[in-house]
Amino acid sequence: MDGLDGVSWADRLSLFRWAIAAALFAGAVYPLLGTFLHVRRTSFYGIALPQFATAGMVCGFAVLPWWIDTIGLAGLDLSAATSDSHAAMNYHLAWAALFTFGGLALLLWLGQRGGGSEVGRVAAAFAIASAATVLFGRISPVGKGFVDELIAGELLGVGVHEFETIAVVLGLSALAFWLFHRDLLLASYDRETALVLGKRVLAFEGLLVGVTGAMVSVGAMALGPILLFGLLVLPPIAARAWAKSMTGYLLLSSAFGVAAAVLGVVASFELDLPMGAAITACAALLALPGAIRGRRAA
Amino acid sequence: MSALLVAHRAAFGYQRRPVIAGVELEIARGDFLGIVGPNGAGKTTLFRGLLGLIPPLEGSVRRETRAIGYVPQRETLDPIYPVTVEEVVQMGAYGKLRGWRGLSSAARVRAQECLERVGLADRRRDAFSSLSGGQRQRVLIARALMDEPELMLLDEPTSGVDRGAQARILELLVELNRSRGMAILLVSHQLSMVRDTVQRVLWVAEGKVRVGAAAEMLAPENLDRLYAASGTTRSASEEL
Repeated sequence: MDGLDGVSWADRLSLFRWAIAAALFAGAVYPLLGTFLHVRRTSFYGIALPQFATAGMVCGFAVLPWWIDTIGLAGLDLSAATSDSHAAMNYHLAWAALFTFGGLALLLWLGQRGGGSEVGRVAAAFAIASAATVLFGRISPVGKGFVDELIAGELLGVGVHEFETIAVVLGLSALAFWLFHRDLLLASYDRETALVLGKRVLAFEGLLVGVTGAMVSVGAMALGPILLFGLLVLPPIAARAWAKSMTGYLLLSSAFGVAAAVLGVVASFELDLPMGAAITACAALLALPGAIRGRRAA
Repeated sequence: MSALLVAHRAAFGYQRRPVIAGVELEIARGDFLGIVGPNGAGKTTLFRGLLGLIPPLEGSVRRETRAIGYVPQRETLDPIYPVTVEEVVQMGAYGKLRGWRGLSSAARVRAQECLERVGLADRRRDAFSSLSGGQRQRVLIARALMDEPELMLLDEPTSGVDRGAQARILELLVELNRSRGMAILLVSHQLSMVRDTVQRVLWVAEGKVRVGAAAEMLAPENLDRLYAASGTTRSASEEL
């Protein structure tokens, strides 16, 4: 980031306030979802689903010329539709959500049918989604460029529109976790007891699926899959070895996520690194002591 | 004495195929029953049906009380969850939680009382997974006590625990049954334990349920006849 060498920290914070705020917000909220994925032994969803969302966005770019010609996109032409506008963002978000929820539904359906291993199914899903991303990217060079930037994990382009979307989706998700964390815990930990106690287990499982799909779709679109991989998987691993209770585990995961975001932002400015990848690398470093402690305890 | 649970000509099974049929049963306050039978005969299916986890394919199951405590097999609870003993017990009050309302102070006090009742109050801050099998079972009984149940159903409560722990669990169940009139229904493959503890036995074999006095049905000579009639042999754990 040679261009920022002479820029003060105050100016950096002002120039990139939306990107930094989005990173911190993501650091606080994505690990909450990641914690539930971890204890439900579905952490690999945190790897496969962002890739589905990315494939969906590139697919959206691939069909964009046809879409504008036949359906239209708020009166935008092709050039305007690839720029930073609410209409374009909603269009990409819709494709990301379609692929994310589609992938999630497919994984849940295959899981209910049984046969094979969960890890194998998720690994296959990741491979298919990755291949689809590349193939759709070949059809749409504009989409490929957009996604290359996403995959590199550069968040500095996050503007007010992206931040607003992230703030709404993550804010509502955090609220859902705060309100229903006990119900989600019971439905995940001991489904039969939850049913005997009269809890609407299917509703809570549906809530978790809905929150997962929404958070992954918006995150993959605005922040990129690298950051999601990191924040969904690593802070829960970092926190697990130190957590003494489930409530503590959720709070500790979130704290590790925020710490990784802060360190990652500083590292990205100081060392000229893409912010998303820097945050993920910091989350991995923070997970090391926990991993060592967990190994010793085992 | 009013019935807490009544099954009338009930059939239970999966995907519309009955595993157990013609179940006639009435459980009243103070009853202590055990479900026993050969492996794969349908003990768990009957248990899940009476508990309400699977609907009857035929007939009816009427639960006259909402105060039902359930104690699952402890192996079904994944140790990856870093839950404390206290958190597990408090889950017994989650049925009454509504939306944003947290756990009431009364529920927290009740959790402490339930832990005292099972003799584990001093372990409340410990990780549930750090306890022995018998202690975990007693924590799950404490959780089931949170709702002050009139009827408690337990799935293999003494399976895989040592004799000392087994005795403490049974002592606790007998005490709950005698002092509070709590009706208890447990599934077990440990025939001697069932014979020495429960009043009535539900013998499950060949898709049918026979109900009778424990001492009589599980007498060695009768037991040989029951196994022979069902065309099965006893496993090592089912020896008296």
